[in-house]
Amino acid sequence: MGYDRPGIVAAVAKVLFDNSCNIEALSQTVLMGQFAMIVVVAPLAGSSAGTLQAGLETLAAQMKLAIHMRTLNPTEHQAFDVGNAEPFVITVRGEDRPGLVLAITTILAEQGVNITCLGAEVVPVDQRLDYIQIYEVDIPNDMDFSRIQKALREKGAAIGVTVDMQHRNIFRAINQI
Amino acid sequence: MLSSEEIIRTIEMLKNENLDVRTVTLGISLRDCVSSKAEELCSKIRAKIKRVAGEMVAVCDRISDKYGIPIVNKRLAVTPIAAVAEGLDRGEYITVARTLDQVAGEVGVNFIGGYSALVQKGFTTGDRNLIATLPAVLSSTAHICASVNVASTQAGINMDAVSLMGQAIKEISIATAEQDGFGCAKLVVFANMPEDNPFMAGAYLGYGEPEAVINVGVSGPGVVKRELERALQSGTKLTLGDLSEIIKKTSFRVTRVGELIAREVAELLGVSFGIVDLSLAPTPTVGDSVGEIIQCLGLTAIGVPGSTAALALLNDAVKKGGAFASSSVGGLSGAFIPVSEDLNLSEAVANGSLSLEKLEAMTAVCSVGLDMIAIPGDVDAGTIAAIIADEMAIGVFNHKTTAVRLIPVPGKGVGDKAVFGGLFGEAHIVEVRNVACSHAFVGFGGRIPAPITSIRN
Repeated sequence: MGYDRPGIVAAVAKVLFDNSCNIEALSQTVLMGQFAMIVVVAPLAGSSAGTLQAGLETLAAQMKLAIHMRTLNPTEHQAFDVGNAEPFVITVRGEDRPGLVLAITTILAEQGVNITCLGAEVVPVDQRLDYIQIYEVDIPNDMDFSRIQKALREKGAAIGVTVDMQHRNIFRAINQI
Repeated sequence: MLSSEEIIRTIEMLKNENLDVRTVTLGISLRDCVSSKAEELCSKIRAKIKRVAGEMVAVCDRISDKYGIPIVNKRLAVTPIAAVAEGLDRGEYITVARTLDQVAGEVGVNFIGGYSALVQKGFTTGDRNLIATLPAVLSSTAHICASVNVASTQAGINMDAVSLMGQAIKEISIATAEQDGFGCAKLVVFANMPEDNPFMAGAYLGYGEPEAVINVGVSGPGVVKRELERALQSGTKLTLGDLSEIIKKTSFRVTRVGELIAREVAELLGVSFGIVDLSLAPTPTVGDSVGEIIQCLGLTAIGVPGSTAALALLNDAVKKGGAFASSSVGGLSGAFIPVSEDLNLSEAVANGSLSLEKLEAMTAVCSVGLDMIAIPGDVDAGTIAAIIADEMAIGVFNHKTTAVRLIPVPGKGVGDKAVFGGLFGEAHIVEVRNVACSHAFVGFGGRIPAPITSIRN
């Protein structure tokens, strides 16, 4: 992680390549100028965790980045299994204030709903600015989605934001061929 | 992966642009209910509708919650009652209608269509019984919708039926005088009536349709209007071709929603999925008007010169977008111009920019016809029949569906307003010129032959 600028990915990739690592999966994003990247690598023959760690620490110091490395055990490679579930999208709209994410995620955690993607941004909608949080979640098939909808709506009403929860396919149908 | 832009845009359409599913209509065949005894027939009809449609409203509400999209109307359409009740006496038709009305209320739908007859080439006894009972049925029931097909491109125009319908409309108007003739809002006279139309008052289940089927009508004009406004406000120079493209894309989105909902409702009810009707059906809400779309296209009001061309552009673009979105398009599939149900049209009548003649001209390029038009209560049955004949001719000779839903408002004339309430809205009364000038023509009766273009094999 660090201040975004050209060359960060290339520099990290060079350290990995020089240490005989193959990139298995990668996700990178930039949020308000801050660069963040997660890389899962597989060590090839001749690779050493200690040498790699040292290389990354050197790079972090040179480029003023925070780099964290850890070894994954085999069970951590798989995504969290929610069983049979349907994908829903939760949108929260209203005025920005502390505690909004906490309010929504507390309900989801209590109900055992897993968040697969979460983003929040201020967006221009026509002539105004809206603060919007978008959660993609998996609702297990044996769970009554309307109960979660109701809990979210009530919480939204109590804290002055609009909360909706809709099956993801409505967004796909409208926007994607 | 959904982008936040896609999600936000969708939410905006749902929250602020009236994106909804206008109607989910469950068609139910009553052919297996036929009996020569009224009591047995009614008992079978009741049992069948309860069995097939009992869960419909609950299922629609659940799907509506799941996708966060309103399903505005839940309705039923049945096999034409003229055929189902063919063996009964005239008075027993009213008993059948009351059974339908009652059971529709019990399953929670707001309308049941199919008090219908198809008489484009001639009448059976059942057809005559049904037409004769229209005033009694439409003045004494809450949920029944009726329709009569008096013309088709293959058969021509049954002018005897046209005359009968002129009289029926007058009688229904008088029978519902206290509600400004509202009974007439529940009756449509058709040419080339579609078998799978989900919209009232003309919905019925055709003879070629399956045992039970879900047909849906998609959202209204609000979404299209907002997309056009957004494009026009962007400052980019746009041609009519560009505006057509915007309408087409919006129609695609709206149709996809309709099909998604229809397929899921059909699956949960264990019945067939039929069609998505692409019609842009307005409501008496500001921002949900076909008239406002016409204004977006640069005309000061619907009805001024250019309106027919603008409506043709709109109708065609809606069809193109919808046809790309779904392979199961049917019903009426065109822009509706129901005067009382579209606030902007109603105002255009009040300020004089929209006349009956211009409405008729516009129906040549859109669906469905002279729809929800309040006319003076003293216009006679013969003149109403002649107006019907003109509209039927447009449908028959242009291979399209046209329809007439006129409401003579007893005791009121031009300058007055009829108030129907709810989705039916209110209407300024439209002037009918040259009244009582067509009696001799209508009086010939018989059939206007099918056009030469009907011979296509």
